[in-house]
Amino acid sequence: MSTTTETEIPLRQRVAENPQPALIWAAVGAVLVGVELGAILQVVGAVAGVVVNLLPGDPGASAVQSLQAAFDAIPTLVSRDVIPNQGYWNGTSYQNTFLGLSPAVAWAIRVVFVYAYAFAVLAWAWNGYNRFRRHYRRVDWTPRDDVVNRFRNHSWGKFGLIIVITFVVMAVFAPALGPTTMERNILQPYDYEVSYWSEDTQSVETVLVGEANIGSGSQGAGDENVAPLTYDDFGRFHPFGTATNGKDLFTQVVFGARISLTIAVVAMGIAGLIGLGLAMITAYYKGLADLATVLVSDSIQALPVIMVLILMLVIFQNTWVRELYDGAVLIILIFSIVYWPFIWRSIRGPALQVSEEDWIDAAKSFGQTPTQVMRKHMAPYVFSYMLIYASLSLGGIIISVAGLSYLGLGITAPTPEWGRLIANGQQYVASPSWHISLLPGLLITLVVTGLNAFGDGIRDAIDPQADTGDEAAATGGGA
Amino acid sequence: MSRWQYFLRRVLMSIPVVIFGTTITFALIRLGPLDPVSAILGTQYNPQAAEQIRTNLGLNQPLWSQYLDFMYDLFTFQLGQSWVIAPGTTAYELIEIYAPRTIWLGFWSVVIALFVGIPLGFYAGLNPNTPSDYAASFGGIVWRAMPNFWLAIMLVTALSQLGSWTNGLFTWQTWIVRTNVVTPPALGFFQSPVEQFLADPGGWIESFVRATKQIAPAALVLGSASMGNEMRIGRTAVLETINSNYVETARAKGVTGRSLVWKHIFRNALIPLVPIITGEAFLLLGGSVFVETVFAINGLGWLFFNAAINGDLPLIGTLMFIFILILVGTNILQDFLYTIIDPRVGYDG
Repeated sequence: MSTTTETEIPLRQRVAENPQPALIWAAVGAVLVGVELGAILQVVGAVAGVVVNLLPGDPGASAVQSLQAAFDAIPTLVSRDVIPNQGYWNGTSYQNTFLGLSPAVAWAIRVVFVYAYAFAVLAWAWNGYNRFRRHYRRVDWTPRDDVVNRFRNHSWGKFGLIIVITFVVMAVFAPALGPTTMERNILQPYDYEVSYWSEDTQSVETVLVGEANIGSGSQGAGDENVAPLTYDDFGRFHPFGTATNGKDLFTQVVFGARISLTIAVVAMGIAGLIGLGLAMITAYYKGLADLATVLVSDSIQALPVIMVLILMLVIFQNTWVRELYDGAVLIILIFSIVYWPFIWRSIRGPALQVSEEDWIDAAKSFGQTPTQVMRKHMAPYVFSYMLIYASLSLGGIIISVAGLSYLGLGITAPTPEWGRLIANGQQYVASPSWHISLLPGLLITLVVTGLNAFGDGIRDAIDPQADTGDEAAATGGGA
Repeated sequence: MSRWQYFLRRVLMSIPVVIFGTTITFALIRLGPLDPVSAILGTQYNPQAAEQIRTNLGLNQPLWSQYLDFMYDLFTFQLGQSWVIAPGTTAYELIEIYAPRTIWLGFWSVVIALFVGIPLGFYAGLNPNTPSDYAASFGGIVWRAMPNFWLAIMLVTALSQLGSWTNGLFTWQTWIVRTNVVTPPALGFFQSPVEQFLADPGGWIESFVRATKQIAPAALVLGSASMGNEMRIGRTAVLETINSNYVETARAKGVTGRSLVWKHIFRNALIPLVPIITGEAFLLLGGSVFVETVFAINGLGWLFFNAAINGDLPLIGTLMFIFILILVGTNILQDFLYTIIDPRVGYDG
């Protein structure tokens, strides 16, 4: 770094001079990571598998598979195996459940455990930042401290943050949170069996999961309904009840959270990169580059977003892109294309402003290349404005994806999606099976409220005078 | 630059936007992986019919000539016809049938949102940090976060069940005039309103009330997002103006409360609301697809959605062009309103 002065001591040396706070923090971190090492490696294995699948000829597929098997075998703390809830009643006691508790209680303990672990990790990370600030940072104060402090005093933003964290944890720990697994209950129900206590024969019987699902669907009528927080006829506990086809609703909801979050974050990330890159170029070169981008972005913005999404999903319906991740990849691409003009618009002003600053002239006259000037001296200034806009738009994307799936155009089966669950239960809202439509809708409302609150908090923290919050962005184009 | 010069410039600047937007639509329809002809024929594909349609649509010509034809036809308002959902019907006839319902829906959703959202927002702004302010603000935020299609489903259920929930004391279907919950509005009374009204005033008013009641739940849902936005902006705007120097001055020179609120606060607080109200055009067009699907209103959104899923690509191109015109027109209107309401807005932009 060109800013290095003679008096500056590298971070490594600063830690070596006063190792205790860092060591304690690292030790706690090692424990937290260690108990979940298996899960982390499993994610690495899964990503490797996807990469290998995409490469032509699948090089090293078998090696990756054996690696995945090895990773799967590593026990982890926050997993179904440690606190199992899929047991059965044998007439006198529960078998195969955690401490012989009922499946409902075992499941609840696991959920509490997952969230406790997640919040412990977050507390550890926050503690690390504070330790760095107190013991190792060279300066007493940076502008970022003010941002953090402003957010800490923003109770509406903190409310949003908590909801966002809850949602993200739901998405990340989806396999551990469900009372059953995707594989067993939703994807391959006829490959697995479930044991249950039969009142008729007064004995433990087994049945295929698929057949049990048929017997426990929620279709309105009194005996054809598995309400939230109840057991079905096969001794399986359903925190959110079952869907019309008898599959567990909560499992579908947590995996639906995963896909919603993935689409929203990745699409916003790509749109943000395009928007930021173009903002740099247009602010640096101005003139024709700016005019051309104005024209293109105005034209894209003049298109009705939802209509374009519907049209593009129809046009690409039979292509291979549509098949990737049940349509998620295509949706991400479409959202990136449709959303970058909005991001570019929201940061064009700040980018033009910063390009007029003296330090840009100075950098130029020092002979720095345009890319260097853009990356080092302009982008950091504009980035926070982009963050504000992106955080306010995430909720809109989640609503849009749910809406498209509701229309049958978005995410297709078997990947669960909240909008499709709502469509699934639409005709039963007035019946005892009201939970199928109502609960996913309430969750969307809650998550979007939380995301908007979080976005408000970020905006007020980064720049209390900011005027970048486009109100229409948070509403998903009317979905 | 005078007001009219500014307006003219604004109109001229929107022409390339319309051309470019239409070009994007053309690229999607003609260059996308979906072949228009096989989309039109669907399962009844046979080479002869395919060749026939290909000639009719001009798909045998080189791409640049197809593009010029496409653009020329649209910009001279030769809007073509439907090929799948209503074969042979011209786009004009279809729009004439479907658009009134959407306009009726859009009109009421703007009106309901305005007359609920703005007063609530101003009320919250005039009584800041009171329990009623918090209730109104929080309610507005949650109301805005609800997905329209879900809200529509819930409202349909609630209205249908009102009778059984209140033991028959109040049923939506029989309230004032008899209607169904899920139904397209009957807009026949608009055909020649003056003569019909003179011939049978009571009957005309009844059909007006019926059509309004039929559209009200859908309009409430479609306006929900805008209502929340208007409330938020209204509240902030009032809070900002209330603390400004000129309101202080007015109060000091003895302007009475009512006159202060209406003349000094209300008018200035309206300014930031203009883009929200005109921006509703986007929400209304997009939302109409969902709301019309749930409420079984066969309007433009419904027409577009059905044209899309049935592969009626020529009709989609036409509809898209019309939507672009509507949205660009609204943007021009917004800038124009700005210049009227707020004389400080510069004409140089």
